[in-house]
Amino acid sequence: MRFQQIFRLIGILNFFLGLSMLAPLCVSLIYSDGSFAPLVYSILITSGSGLIVFFFARRIDSSSLSQREGMAVVTLGWVSAGFFGALPFLFSDSISSITNAYFESISGFTTTGATILSDIEALPKGLLFWRSLTQWMGGMGIIVLSIAILPFLGVGGMQLYKAEIPSPVVDKLQPRISETAKSLWKVYLLITLLEIGLLCLGGMPLFDSICHAFCTMPTGGFSTLNGSIAQFNSAYFEGVITLFMILAGINFALHFKFLKGDFKVFGRDPECRAFLLILAILILLVTWNTYGTVYSTVIEAFRYAAFQVSSIITTTGFVTANYEQWPALSQIILVLCMFLGAMAGSTGGAIKIVRIILLVKHGYREIFTLIHPHAIRSIKLGKKPVPPDVVNSIGGFLILYLGICIVAVIFMSGLGLNTVTSFASVAATIGNVGPGFGLVGPVNNYLSIPDVGKWVLIFCMILGRLEIYTVIILLVPAYWRK
Amino acid sequence: MKIIIIGAGEVGFNIAQRLSEENHDVVVIEKDPVKIRSVQNALDVQAIEGSGTNPSILQDAGIQDSDIIVAATDNDEANLFACFYAQYLTDFITKIARVKNPDYMKHREIFKQDSFTIDLLINSQSEMVASILKLTEVPIASEVIDFVDGRVKLIGITIKEDSPLVGRKLSSFQEYENSILVGVIIRGEKVVVPKGEDVIQANDLVYMVTRREDIQNIFRIMQIRREGLSRVMIVGGGETGLALAESLDATTINTKLIEKDGQRCLELAEKLEKVVVLNGDGTDREFLIEENVDEVDIMMVLTGDEENNVLISLLGKALGAKKTVTKIAKLSYIPLVSTIGIDTVVSPRLSAIRAILQYIRKGKVVCVAPLKAEAVEAIEFEALETSDIVNTPLSKVKFPKGAIVGAIVREEEIIIPRGHNMIKPHDHLIIFALKDAIPKLEKLFTVKLEYF
Repeated sequence: MRFQQIFRLIGILNFFLGLSMLAPLCVSLIYSDGSFAPLVYSILITSGSGLIVFFFARRIDSSSLSQREGMAVVTLGWVSAGFFGALPFLFSDSISSITNAYFESISGFTTTGATILSDIEALPKGLLFWRSLTQWMGGMGIIVLSIAILPFLGVGGMQLYKAEIPSPVVDKLQPRISETAKSLWKVYLLITLLEIGLLCLGGMPLFDSICHAFCTMPTGGFSTLNGSIAQFNSAYFEGVITLFMILAGINFALHFKFLKGDFKVFGRDPECRAFLLILAILILLVTWNTYGTVYSTVIEAFRYAAFQVSSIITTTGFVTANYEQWPALSQIILVLCMFLGAMAGSTGGAIKIVRIILLVKHGYREIFTLIHPHAIRSIKLGKKPVPPDVVNSIGGFLILYLGICIVAVIFMSGLGLNTVTSFASVAATIGNVGPGFGLVGPVNNYLSIPDVGKWVLIFCMILGRLEIYTVIILLVPAYWRK
Repeated sequence: MKIIIIGAGEVGFNIAQRLSEENHDVVVIEKDPVKIRSVQNALDVQAIEGSGTNPSILQDAGIQDSDIIVAATDNDEANLFACFYAQYLTDFITKIARVKNPDYMKHREIFKQDSFTIDLLINSQSEMVASILKLTEVPIASEVIDFVDGRVKLIGITIKEDSPLVGRKLSSFQEYENSILVGVIIRGEKVVVPKGEDVIQANDLVYMVTRREDIQNIFRIMQIRREGLSRVMIVGGGETGLALAESLDATTINTKLIEKDGQRCLELAEKLEKVVVLNGDGTDREFLIEENVDEVDIMMVLTGDEENNVLISLLGKALGAKKTVTKIAKLSYIPLVSTIGIDTVVSPRLSAIRAILQYIRKGKVVCVAPLKAEAVEAIEFEALETSDIVNTPLSKVKFPKGAIVGAIVREEEIIIPRGHNMIKPHDHLIIFALKDAIPKLEKLFTVKLEYF
């Protein structure tokens, strides 16, 4: 482990993070909302400390980075981004406690969208924009962004990319990693601009359009309004946002290929087909379940069901309905969605459809070999065979995911929270969803969770965003041994 | 440039590594999933699992917008077929194929037709034979590299402890200042781009640039009589051994060829005139002494068994052979071998890698990468009219640290430069540079291009 090298890279990362705060600074200038000074301090501290670390850490060889070091850079990079991202909230006194500010910041970067703010609208516009921007940057990945911008990472970039990208198998779209990262960001930017345009067309103010698009595409879920999307009470906005939440839940490599002219790519991809099928079935089930019990017309039931199911399964976490008043089946479906997640390679969190598909196929193969003991059967995704070690690693991932959930739930309930809240807060943060049930339900927020509990949830959010292995490996003693 | 490389064996892997480090877009196609994994982990290239002789895999790799395809698998026919498909799929791609079978080389006109062209056929064996023959021109050298069609030579010499050069300052070579320039000194693991006050030490590997006609000056400063090469012993009568023996057969050099297999000896004797073919085992000490190994100028050990080659070379050295050339296929052995006292290593794979890289860089950059120091390269650059470096005395040009001009080639003239020399437009420069300095050099030579 070459710590100098690791800190050097994190230094660069922080320098650019500081520069990204120039965007909210502009917003605060336009609205002169009083968040100017806090943002300036934050920029100076973030970029300044980044530069200091960058120059003081000895340069070794920038091009080579081992897989282990890559994981350390990514994990520590995210932890430090959470810290520096919290500075504007602290300096402006919008959030006074460090725990709360860190929670809000990391909830942004990990695209969870869980908030501790009761009165969001009271925040200065500059900070509201910063909240959205943290989500937008965290969605495609702050590391992937830096790989796209910084040319010198070379092979090391691949290690960082693998550690950050939320997918069990990493594919390169372009021969070079920096080009791959650039392509992904371009696609991401393009779809975001499209959403901003469509929201503006429907009459949403430009500022709100940008903020909401910045929180839809990373499947984040922060809103600039206390009542989330429900406050607009507009079927058009809900429709547009539903559409873009689903787009954000699709693998961005597919979007890239689609934009390159391969229009059948969505239909051909087995994971995409499964994702859309599962989504359709769940929406119809919830529509059927809520029609007549909560909503009087099918259209109304469909409107809220489609939005809410899409929002939770893609782990966005926007809210248009208080789903805690829905019948049990619908609630159970939403809980299921929290664990399912969207496609691998999307900006969404949780377990992800491809893992579910492969585990189901693995299970079926076990049954098949019981019937035909001599049968040789390979697990395929579409027409491509999946190597056994990928399937094994998925099994390991699922066990770790559920194991960590269980431990965290036990811990939360030990803090005195009720059963539903303990369970939902963990599921909603490790899955990067945001709103859960009970005290952290759609009409409440995370303010009432005790501070220790918040730190557990912060840990869950980072674990969820970086897909467990990258983070958990740093906690294994063998990792640090020479 | 976008380059497709088929086969991620040692040759393919090394080419992919070099080219991706030079910021080319590289796609590697390989059948073996284990090799694919190691490519993905170590290199910034796109790795595709599959066969290079499958047109749809080639299409997946994006052959339509690729500039070069390099077929570098171990299978000649697979390499040729990959190029054939490449030609079918896209018209303007440059095709490079590695072939082992010398028969293909004999009929290379077949691959020069309109219907099927291979731009470069690389036969590692003939590349290797050529580089061994170059060594015979300067027997004291451990490496000889040609620039500008052989008119400028880069000669690497290991300084022995009893050499008169030990302890001499480089500035003391003044009387030869127009014919010899010490470009790089490799001292253990360290690479020194030397200045006048640097002193040569024992066991240094010194690289000198000189004109072809000035080679005797090197002998003069080394204070050795120019002894032409008079006795060569080749161990191993395989294809390489035979090819070398055939070339030496035409010269006055006394050559002995040792081969274990009696039947093969008969075949060899039929093909050779003056060369003495000996049936015996190169590991047999008595046999080597009997054949006067102690008087041999160069012992070339070229059997198919690389571990044995190392041992035979050590044995030969111990028995008094002045110099050994050892064939080793596996690249990872090469750095080890030089530490145990073997003079010069030749490797068919390394030869193939160099030949392919030189072709791809098309003379702009000529890779040297001496065996003992991957960190230095000798580069041939053309000075453009618009570049800052032209019409300025060399001493005023701000060369990056770790770079030195070894020679200026101006049409027919070759200048071994001093500080007052000027670079004129369209001069070719041979520059030694540490790896770190190369990007800065490239910038220095092309920065003004943007104003076109």
